[in-house]
Amino acid sequence: MYLQIIINGILKGGLYALMALGMSLIWGVMDIINIAHGAFIMLGAYTTYWLFTLYGIDPFISLLAAMLIMFILGYIIQKGIINLVIRAEIFITLILTFGIEIFINNTALLLWTADVRKVKVAYAASNFNFLGATIPYVRLFAFVLALIITLILYIILNKTRLGRAIRATSQDLDAARLNGVNVSHIYAITFGIGTALAAAAGTLWAILFPISPAMGGHLTLKSFVVCIVGGLGTMMGPIVGGLTLGIVESLGTNWLGTTYESLISFTILVLVLIFKPKGILGKEG
Amino acid sequence: MKKYTALAILFIISCIIPYLTGNYTLRFATDILIFAIMASAWNIIGGYTGYASFGNVVFFGLGAYLTAIFMSEDLMHLNFFISMFFSGVICAIFAFLMGLPILRLKGHYFAIATLGIAEAMKALVQNLDITEGNSGMYLPMINLSIDASYKFFYFVALGVLIILLIITYIILKTKLGYGFIAIREDEDAANSMGINTTLFKSISFSISGFFTALAGSIYAYQQGFIKPEPVFDVLVTVKMIVMAVFGGIGSLFGPLIGAATIQIISEVLSDYFLVAHALFFGTIIILMILFSPKGIYDIFSGRKKIGMSYFLENIRKHRI
Repeated sequence: MYLQIIINGILKGGLYALMALGMSLIWGVMDIINIAHGAFIMLGAYTTYWLFTLYGIDPFISLLAAMLIMFILGYIIQKGIINLVIRAEIFITLILTFGIEIFINNTALLLWTADVRKVKVAYAASNFNFLGATIPYVRLFAFVLALIITLILYIILNKTRLGRAIRATSQDLDAARLNGVNVSHIYAITFGIGTALAAAAGTLWAILFPISPAMGGHLTLKSFVVCIVGGLGTMMGPIVGGLTLGIVESLGTNWLGTTYESLISFTILVLVLIFKPKGILGKEG
Repeated sequence: MKKYTALAILFIISCIIPYLTGNYTLRFATDILIFAIMASAWNIIGGYTGYASFGNVVFFGLGAYLTAIFMSEDLMHLNFFISMFFSGVICAIFAFLMGLPILRLKGHYFAIATLGIAEAMKALVQNLDITEGNSGMYLPMINLSIDASYKFFYFVALGVLIILLIITYIILKTKLGYGFIAIREDEDAANSMGINTTLFKSISFSISGFFTALAGSIYAYQQGFIKPEPVFDVLVTVKMIVMAVFGGIGSLFGPLIGAATIQIISEVLSDYFLVAHALFFGTIIILMILFSPKGIYDIFSGRKKIGMSYFLENIRKHRI
């Protein structure tokens, strides 16, 4: 019994980690809290939904298309809007991204109505047995994919020229600029990667759960919890935060009931902020 | 002197409005006043003290629910004004205690912590028996004719707003107000000048919480029925902030002006574009943040020349 609950928590935690990865990157590099993150997840989910429904493209393949489309959208939004006020007080960018979220959500509502939709893949129900616990293949594959994407991001950030430029910009904007980094371009690329990661999470979400234009707000809040619990500024942060949240939620809702899911996650958020504001992995001071 | 004459005229106009307009307009004016209370209350912590609370809706929702509990015939059956006052006091205490740990957090972390508390409170209210979970709570009907009840809520909201503005005005003239502004400008410096920053920040937060709770009380009694989802909606917090910013944060009348402008714009838009008006709300937020983050108050204060370069100054200063 408990094995099943913990496995469910871990599998969901992987998805949470991927959801928060893009937010954590944007937050860590540019100090922007992207409230529109959930809206980008929603757009990614719908991209996958339409590619599947209209053209029958398998979600695990359209993942790449969704990421590419959302990368371009993210690049344009950062370059055309957010970069204009990026150095203003923090709540300015906070409200700005909220404005973007309201805009995207309501556009989606106009285009696609409030109907709840589902990507019905043929293999959704197939599963296998592991020590008495049932594991659906789709969930396991989504989990592995989340880890692979995190690993790819790690390699990009640490082993490539682009990654060096992103890290340099994050550490010292002026120094990076003096060394010939086009910071405006790098910011836009970082935001684009963040939204592409959101699209990846949205695609996996669409395979596992029903989607609707209003799904984003809730997922933004979940991503906050993961970012804060894991701690910012490390690649492992979102994974640790995601798995922690997944397992604790899984155990908590088993004891208290599913209506307590939000109460559990936000209580964790507030407690971590009070007692360990830098997150589980964060260093003090 | 000119300022006081203008205020006196504004006061007289706002007192005779109910006798000149119909109930629809009066209800609309009451909504503006309720939002003006919330935006002005947010202004105390977010504008003067510089701590951008992203969860002030928690006081609104808590104020609404406490009033419902106090007034409920099965539970306590108290008078509205007594219920409103106690809801405010409880929220002030709650804000003070909550402020002690979370006001140590800075910037984004404070914003997220307040957001988290508001969401946790919503989830709690959804699960408690006394608040009847997601099915919502009814408040006793007001014992007045329909016309009289519209006037009643208008004047209660007006009264609370005036008290709030007077208190804010007095605070700004005292050591407390200078302390708030000092904390906003440079907290470490304020600390070394002998200001007990923890205490000052908590006081600021609890004043903000007190008045936001009163707005929640009025809202709940006016609606007669409340549910967790609308009264703890994060969009309410966003509206307070947007109104305060749109009017001009850190100014006494800015939030009031912002509340009136935003409500009127949304009303006009929703008349013409029933479905798409939320889209325009998003657009307004984006344009405002880009071109006029200091708000309407700053534009009309006459201190600066208004032209193309005024609206581009923000971008010129903060772009990359």
